[in-house]
Amino acid sequence: MEPGWVPESVDVDRPSLARIYDYMLGGFHNFAVDRELARAAIAAMPDAAVQAQANRAFLHRAVRFLVDRGVRQFLDLGSGIPTLGNVHEIAQGIEPQSRVVYVDIDPVAVSHSQQILAGNERAITIHADMRQPERIFADEQVRRVLDLDEPFAVLAVAVLHAISDADNPHRSIAAYREAQVAGSYLVVAHGAEGVRDEESKRLLEIAARTTTPLTRRTPEDIARFFDGYELVPPGLVWASLWHPDAPSQVPDRGEDSGNLVGVGRKL
Amino acid sequence: MTAPGDPASERDGAAEFASEWAAQVFGLTLVPMTWREMVDFLHGLTVRLAAMLLAPGLEAAAAAQVGVDLVAAKLIAPEALARTVTVLGGQLLPALGLAGDDTASARLEQIIETLSVAHCRVVRDLAMDEQEIVLRSAMRARREAEDRLRAEQARARHAALHDPLTGLPNRGMFADHLDRVFAGGGTGRAAVCLLDLDNFRPINDSLGPAVGDRLLVELARRLGALAAERGWFLSRVDGQEFAVLLEQTGCPEDAAKVADKVLSAVGEPFHVDGQELTVRASIGIFESPIAVSTGTEALRSARTALHWAQHDGGGRWMLFDRERSAAQVRRYRIGAAMPGALARGEFRLEYQPLVHLATGRIAGHEALARWTDPELGTVPPDTFIPLAEDTGLIVALGKRLLTQACIETADRPHRTRQPPFVSVNLAAQQIRQPGIVADIAAVLDSSGLPPDRLQLEITESVAVDESPHATRSLQALVALGVRLAIDDFGTGHANHAYLHRLPVHGLKLDASFIRALNPPGTGSKVEAILANLISLGHTLGLTVTAEGVESPAQVDLLRTLGCDLGQGWALG
Repeated sequence: MEPGWVPESVDVDRPSLARIYDYMLGGFHNFAVDRELARAAIAAMPDAAVQAQANRAFLHRAVRFLVDRGVRQFLDLGSGIPTLGNVHEIAQGIEPQSRVVYVDIDPVAVSHSQQILAGNERAITIHADMRQPERIFADEQVRRVLDLDEPFAVLAVAVLHAISDADNPHRSIAAYREAQVAGSYLVVAHGAEGVRDEESKRLLEIAARTTTPLTRRTPEDIARFFDGYELVPPGLVWASLWHPDAPSQVPDRGEDSGNLVGVGRKL
Repeated sequence: MTAPGDPASERDGAAEFASEWAAQVFGLTLVPMTWREMVDFLHGLTVRLAAMLLAPGLEAAAAAQVGVDLVAAKLIAPEALARTVTVLGGQLLPALGLAGDDTASARLEQIIETLSVAHCRVVRDLAMDEQEIVLRSAMRARREAEDRLRAEQARARHAALHDPLTGLPNRGMFADHLDRVFAGGGTGRAAVCLLDLDNFRPINDSLGPAVGDRLLVELARRLGALAAERGWFLSRVDGQEFAVLLEQTGCPEDAAKVADKVLSAVGEPFHVDGQELTVRASIGIFESPIAVSTGTEALRSARTALHWAQHDGGGRWMLFDRERSAAQVRRYRIGAAMPGALARGEFRLEYQPLVHLATGRIAGHEALARWTDPELGTVPPDTFIPLAEDTGLIVALGKRLLTQACIETADRPHRTRQPPFVSVNLAAQQIRQPGIVADIAAVLDSSGLPPDRLQLEITESVAVDESPHATRSLQALVALGVRLAIDDFGTGHANHAYLHRLPVHGLKLDASFIRALNPPGTGSKVEAILANLISLGHTLGLTVTAEGVESPAQVDLLRTLGCDLGQGWALG
């Protein structure tokens, strides 16, 4: 950490997106404030937890897909509470040499993550803001784990919709792309506009009361994150439709998963 | 349908059942498990369950373990348990070819109950464990954030109070500390030694700021070692200025000893970048009872003393002295008050007669500047004239006084054939003015004073100025008809070559010669010098005036020596 940078205080009396997500996924690493907000979200969109699980399942499939394609380095942005199916468990489970850097802005999630990863030399968690890529790449620990001269995958799963247009997430993603060599990957899952808009509106109203308001984006805006990348088949699709692992995973209506996902390869 | 008890068909049935089970729960787990891995995992459980169904008695622990393993595979959602119960209850026996087997059916009910209880219990434990973990993470995160905040605050505090180059306390911290010491009250004394390097600038300029910085770091290290050893409070207060605060001094000499020690430490050569550098420093010392001073005054006074030390050539310490400082402050105030006083016409002239010693007749008057300021009181000319020369105000002041003298003299009624002249001092800076001759001509013209009634007094230092402009101006003034006299003659300059270069009319012997005549008539060396000077003047055809004549005895003696004119108290 560079001198002069002090994190905001740790406030467990305010709901945290990371812990709400953990609750949605069925975890117990959350507090009453988080559960209260999560229940309100579920009331607004009854299958909110299912959507969260669909995103998580997509992340698992995407990581496995990338390891199969030879990717050995992962930068997981907004990694959250490290409980259920972490990137390093999947990647290192297949290829023990895989290296993973987790980035989160939530100090509790980071602290928890660091405890879990203690002793794992190939996986670290840093406390940082994904809107500041230059800071992340300047971090000494990150430089020790990630070799930027080799391809690496940037995982932005269910995190970009937590960044408002004012903070220009497209510019941030472009900066990550600039740091990647050709053959690197970008993985995105993002809440999409245009489906279930009434429910989405209510969900966004609830999120607006938290410190992390959410922003849905149009499919076109989501596709723009892949500028400079070539989407691997099947392209930008609903989360449950991306390389489904089992027939039972595919719902009747793909758009019910609410999130568009894609994996792009840097040209 | 396969026959019951056939191992091969049991295995097939178990595999089919495992697929069905997986289809029910796959979407409910979030472990990094593929579909295939999930089916294999559940197949393993199915085989174990089949064994339990066929065993002579139920091993409760084995049934419970199935529930535990489900949780370990993160099949912890209530839906996962519910669907497991449903699929086990509805499809396991048929899949294993045990449909209608009452014993197996009863056994299955026991198994489901046991594994459900175990599942719930383990999930509850897991929930409590995870709650504890997240709480501990939160506490740790908060503690870490607080630690970082504290570290950052400490760093910021240190940075705010220390000089980044040398790491020494900075000016702000020194001032705070000083204030605390002097605000402490009590009967003790304290001292501030303020050090400045006399020759840092040339080193920095010629060898570069990097060398300059390293020199300062070396100096700080050297002084720091002394300070640590002797308990001084050392600070770098400014670029090349260091300050030492001494507490519990007994007298000024204590501080002076410290200053000596510091100067000798600074005097040892420094080795920077393979070069030997010798520096010199000056120190200003302020030492005082703490009760009668403040931190601000202490530092300011030490700085004043530092300037005195530098003014006296540097390489030394100087102790602050209130009287000297007060005099300096007064000089400063006088200098500041003069432009206003001049603008308001507060400078007046007093006329001191120049008397023919032989006849007692008045030959002329010297116009002497006088100034009484409403606040500063009467300021003597030997105070304000040098100040006016320092500030350059002398040009305007001189012109004003000359004009005033010409007007007042021209206006004064006289009955003699040879009306008295007025003698006015002309400063070096006035003569250097380009328009001086025209200015004086204009003053004479407007006042109506005939040029031969104006005598200008210049000092020897002006007379020896061989610059063409000065020489030409003086010659032009004489050509106008103005008289020229050398003031303070005999003290300023040994070489009198200018006397033949300049059209001088008179010499004014310096008052110091006349004062030294006491007691007069003793045939002293001074008398001989005076006789010589008078003789020199006469040889050159000049009028000789004695200044500062204070007693009748001096009048008599000067008359005897042939001095032409006298001026002073004894002559009115």
